Amino acid sequence: MTYAYLFKYIIIGDTGVGKSCLLLQFTDKRFQPVHDLTIGVEFGARMVNIDGKQIKLQIWDTAGQESFRSITRSYYRGAAGALLVYDITRRETFNHLTSWLEDARQHSSSNMVIMLIGNKSDLESRRDVKREEGEAFAREHGLIFMETSAKTACNVEEAFINTAKEIYRKIQQGLFDVHNEANGIKIGPQQCISTSVGSSTSQRNSREVGSNSGCC
Amino acid sequence: MSDEDDIETPVLTEATSILEDGNCEPAKNPESVDQSAKPESKSEPVASTRKRPESKPSSDLETSEVLPVQASQAAGKETVSKDVPQSGWGYWGSWGKSLLSSASATVATVGQGISNVIEKAETSLGIPSPSEISTEVQYATGETHAKENETSSPMTGPFGVFSTISTAVQSTGKSVISGGLDALEFIGKKTMDVIAEGDPGFKRTKGLMNRSSTLSQVLREAKEKEELWTSNEVTMETDKKTHYGLLFDEFQGLSHLEALEMLSRESEIKVKSILNSLSGEELETLKQELEQLKEAFSLAEFCEEEEEEKKGDEDFTKEITELFSQLNVSSKPEKLARARNTAYEWIRTSLSKPLEEKEEGEKQLEAEKTAHINKNSIEDIHAFAIRSLAELTAYSIELFHKTAALVLHGRKQEVTAVERSRTLSQMTVMLCKELSSLSKEFTTCLTTAGVKEKADVLNPLITAVFLEASNSASYIQDAFQLLLPVLEISLIENRTELPEA
Repeated sequence: MTYAYLFKYIIIGDTGVGKSCLLLQFTDKRFQPVHDLTIGVEFGARMVNIDGKQIKLQIWDTAGQESFRSITRSYYRGAAGALLVYDITRRETFNHLTSWLEDARQHSSSNMVIMLIGNKSDLESRRDVKREEGEAFAREHGLIFMETSAKTACNVEEAFINTAKEIYRKIQQGLFDVHNEANGIKIGPQQCISTSVGSSTSQRNSREVGSNSGCC
Repeated sequence: MSDEDDIETPVLTEATSILEDGNCEPAKNPESVDQSAKPESKSEPVASTRKRPESKPSSDLETSEVLPVQASQAAGKETVSKDVPQSGWGYWGSWGKSLLSSASATVATVGQGISNVIEKAETSLGIPSPSEISTEVQYATGETHAKENETSSPMTGPFGVFSTISTAVQSTGKSVISGGLDALEFIGKKTMDVIAEGDPGFKRTKGLMNRSSTLSQVLREAKEKEELWTSNEVTMETDKKTHYGLLFDEFQGLSHLEALEMLSRESEIKVKSILNSLSGEELETLKQELEQLKEAFSLAEFCEEEEEEKKGDEDFTKEITELFSQLNVSSKPEKLARARNTAYEWIRTSLSKPLEEKEEGEKQLEAEKTAHINKNSIEDIHAFAIRSLAELTAYSIELFHKTAALVLHGRKQEVTAVERSRTLSQMTVMLCKELSSLSKEFTTCLTTAGVKEKADVLNPLITAVFLEASNSASYIQDAFQLLLPVLEISLIENRTELPEA
């Protein structure tokens, strides 16, 4: 219930790459093969534990359709983390990354942590974008990189959590001004954390953060 | 039939007398409220059976017949304040005011039995006498009056729903005070915070976007306070269940509101820059067109007198779906309709259980019956009521947000922005009315189930339901107002004769 920080995430990327599925897998631990097109933005939230601190992730899952682009840009503001998703079986979704990245950088804080995600890693046979290409792109643009499968849940936890870890690290380093909400970080109702973090943590249905499974 | 009444009446009488005893301070308020409702309820403690026509005693029929008249009187009186302009950003004011009204109403009330709570909700139009109002509230009320010079009631101006709700709060509040309940302190604190935050100083002319705090921020803060409060004082899961703000957030109401605010703000900036780029006749024409939109957003229809009839589930679903189709956006209010119907289903079950039981075995022992009635404890009902209100409000705001996104997304449109505004306005009215009647249903449940409870246990729960219903309606109206810039930009972009800015 109580949390030390709240991080706002956005999930961006072409339509059909699995943004909503990643969110659903992360928040509800389930996979839904058929999804309605997202209108504007949808939301999810979950607690994670970083370094013994409860952190609430508030995730904005944006519409990927090109026609929604100008609207979804409005939602970028105040995000601390972004999951930039492409589909490893569709090269064009990888090719569009630069434009997504530009958008993200332009419309949000410069400190925003961006995680590049090559989704649908379960469809190895239909792979169209090599893992190395993703890694190279991430390196070039200073992003974190992971391949995930929303279907098998592989690396989904890790993608969200590693992003949170990176944000947390930046906070520790003083790179993020946690008091400026434009950075997408909010301090939780902290006064009580020191006293009640133990009880509220155990009580809350916060899921245990899984250790690296390395399944992908 | 008569058997039922024989069984039931003594129970109620007993309950009523307990309740009236429970109100330890003598009635002080000189309002017409009491004259109209109290004597009636003293002789015939029938309120809690009002919603059950099968077992209606004769006097109950009277009450029901009287009600529409009184309700229309109420509506008539409310129109006194209907001329208060609600265009522009006055709604911030009204939001604040609604809370002020709730606050003053809550504090100012003087003892009344719960048996007539429901009646009062519909019939009373009492004005709290200044002498009864605590210093704090005196200040608050004074402010209200100063701002709304010609408004003679402490109500919310054109919003009939509010008037009803806050009056109801008023009629239930007294024992809240005498009980010295934490709940009130909490409500009061929250209210004062919101007042401080949303102080309808009317200085910000084109408010929201220039304000340092936005509606979602205010709500977020309120929620955080609740979070803080819950983690400090109560760690039990059950308590969490009744925190409106937390629940509202859980249903993603806060997020949708925040997102809607973002769209609204961006649209407003665009509108401004377009207006700045125009001059002369062009500017005047556009301004006039925008004025039409603003009018549609003034919610004048709240004054429209309408027989308050209970809507069936299908009616509601049909009506909201129809309104949505008029908007011509590819979004459907299914989630909202489902949540609303679930709430009513729950109420029906909750209310019908004891009745069915009675038909089966009329001669059942009192104790057994009570046990059955208590199947849903008043705490359960209260928790479910708060949850439902939070859920419906969150979904309503989600719908508004989706509508905003789709309106901005739409390239061509067959419906004009003004038409859409009118539809949205109707929808807002409908949703608020729905919340109002839902809260009344819940309080009926509460009074039925809590017939044996002490007033200082039951009343705060009823108060809380009405208060949150009133807040819910405010949130919905505020969300509705956020749509104005969105429709403005949509209107502008659909004017072919204007160059794109």
